[in-house]
Amino acid sequence: MKFNKKICLGIESTAHTFGVGIVDFDGNVYSVVNDIYVPEKGGLHPVQVKEQHVNHFHRVIEKALLQAKLLIKDIDLIAFSQSPGLGPVLKIGALVSRMISQIMNIPIIGVNHCIAHIEIGRLMCNVEDPLTLYVSGGNTIVSAFESSRYQIFGETLDLPIGNMIDSFARDAGLSHPGGPKIEKLALTSKKYLSLPYVVKGMDLSFSGLYTAAKRLIESKDFGVKYNLNDVSNSVQETCFAMLTEVTERALAHTEKEEVLLTGGVAANKRLQEMIEYISQEHNTKFAAVPLKFAGDNGAMIGWTGILRYKMEGGHEISETIIKPKERMDQITIPWRS
Amino acid sequence: MEVLDNKMSHDIVKETVIRKGAEANLYYGHWFGKEVIFKYRIPKKYRIEDLDSIIRKTRTLNEARALIRVKDYGVNVPQVFEIDTPRSIIVMKYINGKKLKILLDDLDDKKKRDYFKIIGRFIAILHKNGHIHGDITTSNIIITEHEEIFLIDFGLHEYSDSIEDKSVDLHLLKRVLISSHGKDFELCFNAFLEGYQNEYGDAGANECKAIIKNISVIETRGRYVKKEERR
Repeated sequence: MKFNKKICLGIESTAHTFGVGIVDFDGNVYSVVNDIYVPEKGGLHPVQVKEQHVNHFHRVIEKALLQAKLLIKDIDLIAFSQSPGLGPVLKIGALVSRMISQIMNIPIIGVNHCIAHIEIGRLMCNVEDPLTLYVSGGNTIVSAFESSRYQIFGETLDLPIGNMIDSFARDAGLSHPGGPKIEKLALTSKKYLSLPYVVKGMDLSFSGLYTAAKRLIESKDFGVKYNLNDVSNSVQETCFAMLTEVTERALAHTEKEEVLLTGGVAANKRLQEMIEYISQEHNTKFAAVPLKFAGDNGAMIGWTGILRYKMEGGHEISETIIKPKERMDQITIPWRS
Repeated sequence: MEVLDNKMSHDIVKETVIRKGAEANLYYGHWFGKEVIFKYRIPKKYRIEDLDSIIRKTRTLNEARALIRVKDYGVNVPQVFEIDTPRSIIVMKYINGKKLKILLDDLDDKKKRDYFKIIGRFIAILHKNGHIHGDITTSNIIITEHEEIFLIDFGLHEYSDSIEDKSVDLHLLKRVLISSHGKDFELCFNAFLEGYQNEYGDAGANECKAIIKNISVIETRGRYVKKEERR
């Protein structure tokens, strides 16, 4: 079955998710399929993640096409995550995309992963010009659109929030991903143990908090004066309060009328509650991106690829080199200027 | 004032709100006949009370202490009259003047140079004594009618003797001058550095050099690439 609309296949491959999304040029999403690497123990090892993606990518693409009831020849554009992320993993997405582009003779376009998170939020949540808090395992960024770029107003100086929570959960003996488990544990505790609260202007630091939380569970008082539920609650309350303070400061500074919460950690109800609270205080609209599109996925890459393709056309193969360290504020956004 | 009842003292009157910030509200008023500012760190309902009160108390104490200590070194800062830590209020002298941010454009070059030399001297005094202001912007510098220069807002103040922290302090000012006062940047920043170096003098020349040199190191870090395009 072929639609009379133009179709884009987006490939997300920056970290643990190899995701494929099929989107048309009007922003309708036909399928979202993710293959997520889950380590048996420890964290993400880039080479092991890469191995899994190499072995699984064709099945993910097939499944996405099947869900959308399309064939590979129906695809008009291929978009892939070009930056930022783990080098070996980014390479797989780029490689697969170049291959499809050349075999099928269709245009290819590289997309910045962070910008894609914001764009899919704007598409799904019906917001126009939000202040975005993007919180995930790899990024912690407060961003808003100003002078033709997504400017970064605040960010983490060391660990990303999701990484910090997952690492802490691992130290506490919980399996990956630890975030949802910590959230559940925290629900049953009302106790607060003091932890380092580090905000520098609009920037954040989580490394001291991580060490302090780790010391709490290694202490001889652990299990006596407090338990893991209490530490989980304290970690969440502290780091989310930091995020909220920074978001509020950026909101006062930029005077935006919408707040968008996105990234994997956006699924946390407590964080949603706090960001929603300050949004209301400032009379702004609050939107949290639905989990299916908040975490890493191919649809966001596809949609952002479409936006750029409409303005600038596709990339040459020579321009599709991966950029593991590219910052989102280095990239101009022609479709919003 | 709806939030400030008069429990603090018998003879204080708060009259008008001057500014509602993200963290604190500023009220103008009178305290035993003196013109004062009440800096009130408002409770934040999104965070749990335990954490909220710790943050507000420590920041209030930290700021008040810094203001008192810094004043002893001869840097012009508002005098602190009263501190109410449980409610997170600092009562300090009202400085009758204008923000440098507003005045700067209309000053002649000589004035600009003179002012920034003094600002440089003040910041050097802070740094020599292990104080980091943390938020040196032209909004946090007040010029009075008698052309006295005051540093305000020590909310992000820290104690540090590291070259890095001092460089970051100067880097912040540099960034603000470039983004808000681009055409005067060179004149102002050079005058600032002159005042800064003079205060450090020969005895502290090595440290001073290291601090200024480190600014360019900070700029070359990834975070600050294309700094002129940030903000």
